[in-house]
Amino acid sequence: MADELYRLKNLTAAYDGKPVLRIGSLVIEHGSAVGFAGPNGSGKSTLLRILALMEKPAAGAFRFRGMPLQEISFSQRRRVSLLLQEPYLLKRSVFENVAYGLKVRGVRRDIARRVLESLSWVGLDADFCRRRWHQLSGGEAQRVALAARLALKPEVLILDEPTASVDAHSAYLIREAAARARRMWGASLLIASHNHQWLEEVCERVVFLFQGRIVDAGLGNVIFGPWKRRNDGRVEKSLAADQKIVLPAPSGRRQVVIIDPARMRLSADRPLSGGTCLAGTVLSIAHRPHTDAFLVTVSVDGHHFNVRMAPTAFRRLSLWPSDPVYLSFDPHDVHWL
Amino acid sequence: MDFLLDGFVQAFTLLWRQDPAVFSAIGTTVRVSTASVLLSLLLGIPAGFVLGYAEFPGKRSLRTLVDTLLSLPTVFIGLLVYAFVSRRGPLGELGLLFTLPAIVIGQTILALPVITALTAAAVEALDRRLRPTLTALGADGRQILLTTVREAHFGILTAAVTAYGRVMTEVGISMMVGGNIKWHTRTITTAIALETGKGEFATGIALGLVLLAIALGVNFSLSLLKRRWQA
Repeated sequence: MADELYRLKNLTAAYDGKPVLRIGSLVIEHGSAVGFAGPNGSGKSTLLRILALMEKPAAGAFRFRGMPLQEISFSQRRRVSLLLQEPYLLKRSVFENVAYGLKVRGVRRDIARRVLESLSWVGLDADFCRRRWHQLSGGEAQRVALAARLALKPEVLILDEPTASVDAHSAYLIREAAARARRMWGASLLIASHNHQWLEEVCERVVFLFQGRIVDAGLGNVIFGPWKRRNDGRVEKSLAADQKIVLPAPSGRRQVVIIDPARMRLSADRPLSGGTCLAGTVLSIAHRPHTDAFLVTVSVDGHHFNVRMAPTAFRRLSLWPSDPVYLSFDPHDVHWL
Repeated sequence: MDFLLDGFVQAFTLLWRQDPAVFSAIGTTVRVSTASVLLSLLLGIPAGFVLGYAEFPGKRSLRTLVDTLLSLPTVFIGLLVYAFVSRRGPLGELGLLFTLPAIVIGQTILALPVITALTAAAVEALDRRLRPTLTALGADGRQILLTTVREAHFGILTAAVTAYGRVMTEVGISMMVGGNIKWHTRTITTAIALETGKGEFATGIALGLVLLAIALGVNFSLSLLKRRWQA
């Protein structure tokens, strides 16, 4: 209980009376790094705003450091800082943007040093201080916005898809700066991202959201419909290049399938046993240091699938990006939504 | 057309010689216009901020009312102020009729909807990410308010300039509650109206040119300020 940072129970959020988030249970430990994955519109941003204490849930129990929402003081709220997906910079210089959070906290001493230090963490030098908000590229603006949060050394740093619309170099610097926040002052990191490799590398746990609910599917592989009904009572989805996914028909009219990456297998040759098998190409490989597991992203006719592999299985296959592989899974291991 | 050309020549002569009557009207105009715009900024910025930022029942109706007041006729404001400050009116004992404060009151009523509506529009036009950004950086309610006003300063400055132009060029209020008293309450516009009626085009044109010069100066200053803030 002492290490609990957040505890959410039966929490719901709604916009104009329409529910957008339904969290049965979620506990986040102090000092941990938690990733939030899921397709657009799955409720990640809403959940992050609630965790950033910027939005009130419609119903349910919410505790931050053991305290219910109404008992959280303003100074405690200031321990949490959220970086929006699309940063907003004040119509001022870079220096003033980064110093803003310090000034509103009444910090008067050492501001210049702290601003320069946090700018250096995101790969920006002192020359940037005088630049105006409109003289920055998208990646630079995002890094300045992150530096403004890092200067505050928040206990909880929440990043909402921070690398979604920046170049590869900026994305790398943002990832490094987030890791530094954890290393230097033990910040808890809550990250929403479509970059599954990053989440795998940084986070001890990844929460997968779909249609406002937490789905127990790790970095789930989502396959959207339409699914075509077959005469044998199964459904199929055609991919390009004449490959098909054939699954037992779901009950009702459900059209979305999630497959847990841990339930998928990779092999160099087409497996002889039954099940669904797809030919693809290795796109990228990420190492998960916390569990020593590997996350291999495979492209199958343009569709991307994540496969979690144990170190022994991974080393046995000796995979490299662009290697041809066969991806297989048991059709009964899928989760219909 | 010769009388117009003669008018221009005489106008420049009047200005060059610093004609006391002309300069008295200019001084009065600048004084009352500045005072009324400052007063309406004091009242209009907070009102516009609330109207543009806060959500409350009846907000839309209030916004419509403020927008309607933008086209309030100056003679109607003059009539209202006259009714209040004349001897029989509720403020008659203050003896404000045909004084500069009476013109300031009327012009403040004229400028207030301009400042309020344009400030509200400027605040509404601010990026929706501003508030969550400020909250995420730890700003409290007062700091959010002040930063929001600062972020909207281009819009508020434009509101001030628009209001200044509106009050400086009005005739109805100055004429009705100021009385167009020479050396006392005569403004540029009331003087133009009077001198044109008398057939004295030179003075009218001279004052018209001054009015144009003031408007040009104000807009040029605004443009310089904007450029400096953006640099």
